[in-house]
Amino acid sequence: MNVWLWGASALLLGVLPCGWLAVRASRVDALVGLQTAGTVVTLALVLLAEGFHRSSYMGVALVLPFLSFVGTLLIARFLGRHLL
Amino acid sequence: MTTHDLVLDVLVGVAVAAELLCCLGLVVMRSVYDRLHYAMAASAVPPFLVAAAVLVEEDWTQPGINALVVAVALFVVSPVVAHATARVARTRRG
Repeated sequence: MNVWLWGASALLLGVLPCGWLAVRASRVDALVGLQTAGTVVTLALVLLAEGFHRSSYMGVALVLPFLSFVGTLLIARFLGRHLL
Repeated sequence: MTTHDLVLDVLVGVAVAAELLCCLGLVVMRSVYDRLHYAMAASAVPPFLVAAAVLVEEDWTQPGINALVVAVALFVVSPVVAHATARVARTRRG
């Protein structure tokens, strides 16, 4: 274990509050939780790529913010139109 | 432990601590707007600290530049999503 892997492991704990928000709070709050979980997982992937010394793993971290962006925007639009 | 290792430990440690604090803030805050502030903080500061740590380790090579691109992407994209979320919340309140 190096500092990168320790950091990634600790960072993944941050997904728990986001999950709690998704389960217990309102739908809009859950959307904020989803958004934050996307950020946390992206950073964890960067740390894991560095920790395993595999630069190719960084590609996943590079794509995730954009996919998360599109996904969250779609859900926000869907929430605004149909679920409120 | 060299100065290089110490700098890496500090950068990664502060980034992780800041990110976890922001996640905790999501649970502690009561309104969606307050939670959005924490979500924005999570995508503003810690990604650049992580990118700085990767740049210290790898210098200006592919992984370092990729980490910087990830940080910039999060910094640019998150306010748009926050705006969309706040708009939905405002619609809900009427």
